[in-house]
Amino acid sequence: MNKIIEKVVGDLGDKRRWRQYKARVKELPEPYRATCSAVERYAMYFSGITNGNTMMTMLDNLIDLFEEHAADGTPIRQIVGEDPVEFAETFLANYSQDHWIAKERRRLQESIRKAAGETS
Amino acid sequence: MGKQITEMLKGTLDGIVLALLAESPAYGYEITARLRDQGFAEIVEGTVYALLVRLEQKGLVDVEKAPSEKGPPRKVYSLNTRGSAHLEEFWTTWSFLVERLERLREGETR
Repeated sequence: MNKIIEKVVGDLGDKRRWRQYKARVKELPEPYRATCSAVERYAMYFSGITNGNTMMTMLDNLIDLFEEHAADGTPIRQIVGEDPVEFAETFLANYSQDHWIAKERRRLQESIRKAAGETS
Repeated sequence: MGKQITEMLKGTLDGIVLALLAESPAYGYEITARLRDQGFAEIVEGTVYALLVRLEQKGLVDVEKAPSEKGPPRKVYSLNTRGSAHLEEFWTTWSFLVERLERLREGETR
């Protein structure tokens, strides 16, 4: 996992943010830490965010959410719901401008435009 | 209702939250609480939070950090001018949808 992070989080500033994020996760009480880590893992595997800065913004927002609710003692299910995948997808959608698929979406639109004989 | 309402809400929740913020600025958990009070019982904190992040990214709300007694500072969200314009557009679209759907339903019973 760390190797993937190194690759994606290339920038020094991002590296510092990553370390800060990790330190904040460590400070979280259970069950918030386990929940945050689980969402983080899912995000790493499925978000496809290729920009380190965007990824750190996503993780900062994630830890903000759990820190706030850890302080309130909000029940886990009240944060992530009955379907945590649904929550994770909604959450991750906000950072989709850097998804690798975004480039392919533009390419698809461009290809169809050409195929339909439209001038762009 | 269950799954269907979840699917339908996806497209309208932005507007609903903007409408709530038009009443008064609020913290994330206050918005969730207001939604629950109004019968949207299945809406969870995480979803509302994700939505507020999106509204902030789109520049429809202003965010201010307020110190909190326990835990980290809390974000207070308020509707800005762009948000108000977006909300107005949302209501127009909503009226259009309701009108069309009602027409469909009337046609069905005729």
